[in-house]
Amino acid sequence: MKGFPAVLLIWTLISPSSSGGGSGEAWPTHVACRNGGLEVLYQSCDPLQDFGFSMDQCSKHLKSNLNIKFGIILRHDIKELFLDIALISKGSSILNFSYPICEEDQPKFSFCGRRKGEQIYYAGPVNNPGVDIPEGEYQVLLEVYTENRSIVACANATIICS
Amino acid sequence: MAPDVSCFLLALLCSASCEVIISLDQTCIEEEANKTYNCENLGLREIPDTLSNATEILDFSFNFLPAIQNRTFSRLINLTFLDLTRCQINWIHEDTFESHCQLSTLVLTGNPLIFMAETALKGPRTLKHLFLIQTGISNLEFIPVHNLENLESLYLGSNQISSIKFPKDFPTWNLKVLDFQNNAIRYLSREDMNSVESTNLSLNFNGNDIKGVEPGAFSSIVFQSLNFGGTSNLSVIFNGLQNSTIQSLWLGTFEDTSNQDISSSMLKGLCDMSVGSLNLQKNRFSDFTASTFQCFTRLWELDLTATHLEELPPGIEGMNLLKRLVLSGNKFDQLCQINAANFSSLTHLYIKGNKKKLHLGAACLEKLKNLQKLDLSHDDIEASDCCNPQLKGLIRLQSLNLSRNAPLGLQSQAFRECPRLEILDLAFTQLHVDASQSPFQDLHFLKVLNLSHCTLDTSNQHLLEGLADLRHLDFSGNSFQDRTIPKTNLLQTVGSVEILILSFCDLLSIDPQAFHSLGNISHIDLSHNSLTCNSIDSLSHLKGIYLNLAANSIGIIPAHLLPVLSQQSTINLSQNPLDCTCSNVNFLTWYRENLQKLEGLEGTVCANPPDLRGVELSAVQLSCGMTTLGIFFLIVFLFLFTILLIFAAQYVLRRKYQHI
Repeated sequence: MKGFPAVLLIWTLISPSSSGGGSGEAWPTHVACRNGGLEVLYQSCDPLQDFGFSMDQCSKHLKSNLNIKFGIILRHDIKELFLDIALISKGSSILNFSYPICEEDQPKFSFCGRRKGEQIYYAGPVNNPGVDIPEGEYQVLLEVYTENRSIVACANATIICS
Repeated sequence: MAPDVSCFLLALLCSASCEVIISLDQTCIEEEANKTYNCENLGLREIPDTLSNATEILDFSFNFLPAIQNRTFSRLINLTFLDLTRCQINWIHEDTFESHCQLSTLVLTGNPLIFMAETALKGPRTLKHLFLIQTGISNLEFIPVHNLENLESLYLGSNQISSIKFPKDFPTWNLKVLDFQNNAIRYLSREDMNSVESTNLSLNFNGNDIKGVEPGAFSSIVFQSLNFGGTSNLSVIFNGLQNSTIQSLWLGTFEDTSNQDISSSMLKGLCDMSVGSLNLQKNRFSDFTASTFQCFTRLWELDLTATHLEELPPGIEGMNLLKRLVLSGNKFDQLCQINAANFSSLTHLYIKGNKKKLHLGAACLEKLKNLQKLDLSHDDIEASDCCNPQLKGLIRLQSLNLSRNAPLGLQSQAFRECPRLEILDLAFTQLHVDASQSPFQDLHFLKVLNLSHCTLDTSNQHLLEGLADLRHLDFSGNSFQDRTIPKTNLLQTVGSVEILILSFCDLLSIDPQAFHSLGNISHIDLSHNSLTCNSIDSLSHLKGIYLNLAANSIGIIPAHLLPVLSQQSTINLSQNPLDCTCSNVNFLTWYRENLQKLEGLEGTVCANPPDLRGVELSAVQLSCGMTTLGIFFLIVFLFLFTILLIFAAQYVLRRKYQHI
């Protein structure tokens, strides 16, 4: 019976179901853009799914009305959709804001009103103001959610400006 | 070698049992006993045995059912709503829903359907709503026509449909909603439109760039609503809709769609059709004069949200049917720039989220004698003396929203011009009220007043004077002197209040007499303060109310306060540092006996003692007689005491009788 503990050990190491059903596994970190002294990395913090995001232009002098590409599967209807952004630098909070993307009386984007289960691909402007990003490393938490606070997308992003 | 093999087998067995445990872990959520289940995101390959046969509503989205057939759902014959969103369904075989007589809603959104059998939807007696969004349909022939006679809504968005022509035998006469969002429809012919037989239809072409409409295609058809959102050339639509009757026409556009500017001559097309409500959100006008409105005379609602307007021209005529006007998200400087006199019959006016600081001016809305609802929220409005000059003449106003603006100064009788106000929302607008002024004086009909986060001076006893009929008062986010509501306070003048919200007021205590004049209360929210059990005394005269005490500093609730809680109908005590030691045993017993009265059970947890921290109160069982250790020591003590007594008696007796 000498081999038993060894087999058990190997099994616990390789068996995927024993490591908490994969729930502890995080989504990979993706590069949204890397150019001109700016690097934007993000990781989905929605335990159910990953999503795809990229920015067309990448520079320290961020232009207004950026174009982005965004692909995701909706897990909720998005008649009403809101974005929360929290910007953190060196552990302290710099900026928090909330922005309505889709509202019943003002659907700003063409994808507003699409339904649970639909796959969305958006390539277009985001209507942002232009900013010069000071050098440093920033943490950004983005949350996109519906009127009853159901998460549609969640991202932990890192912006490195050098 | 043999032992190793047996070990390996043992390990395999163990791994199998672990998997069983995990799959047991992922069961459907029972949202309503035996009736409503949610099995989303569980990766299931079949209907689990745990579901009751009586299930009526089932959300089975994001599972794995490559083919569905007669036996897949056969056990659940009472289904009325079935959501199969993104279950990777390829095949829907014959008679899949044969036994589901009651099924009225079927959601198949996001499934890569290869084929639906001719009898796939046979069975349900009244199948009313069918969702086939993003299922790869390119031809309407794909949908089996069998048993669709009762269909009321058909959602076909995000497919590759280029023609809306229904097959001849497709029963369309009961349809009320037909949704073709985000397809590839470029042309609408007379034949296409004639294939839909129902009247009063809501038809959605949002996200289809329509390039052409056959003249007369829509003529003499009556629509509930028509949506051509995001279409790049509106002239085509206006020409095509000649002689049609449309309750509600949506011609808005979006941030991400580029379209032609609207000219006054394009809008002339509206003269040849009958439209009740028109939405033109986010469009840009190439010229904007009084003549732009010449064909708007039959409208009762006009929505010009975010249409880059800086003013509305004066001298617009014939708009006396218009009841509702939406001008939100524009760039007005002065309220007078909307030239309200043009729209003298308005009952509802919405100007929220103006992109510039909006100056209210004086008497700009004076001509709107019929105005009942006015929304001026999120406008950065600032006024040192509000609101009589600004709202002059609005004698019929019932609902006013001035929330989320810059600071406003209010004098006594600040809303004298609007004596019929029933709802007043001032949330998140800083209010400056001089000492002992009563700004809401004489609002005899006011029923709802939202003063949350208005940074009010709560020591002003007269602040809420004159509100004879107030039912709902939201006072959250205002602070009180010494963090206490004293015996004499500003709430004493609003005796008719039924719903009172005092959350986030940073309160430490409430005087036992503070609410004595409030006899009609049915709902009181004191959550998110720092109240202790002492404040419960102030509620002793109230019965059968909803009481929210969540997120306070309540640790121990002594026995004499429990009757006060017992006489209420619903109580929320979650997020309090509740004590689960024997010093709180009366409350803990009361809690377990009154679970049906309590709300937020999962958030109502112990904070003390440390080993019970985070445990739900309903799970705590204390026995607070004397502990066994205590009893043991008491017995030992009594035993020793008795022995000592005997010895002492012996000693005394010996001393007394030793000389005998």
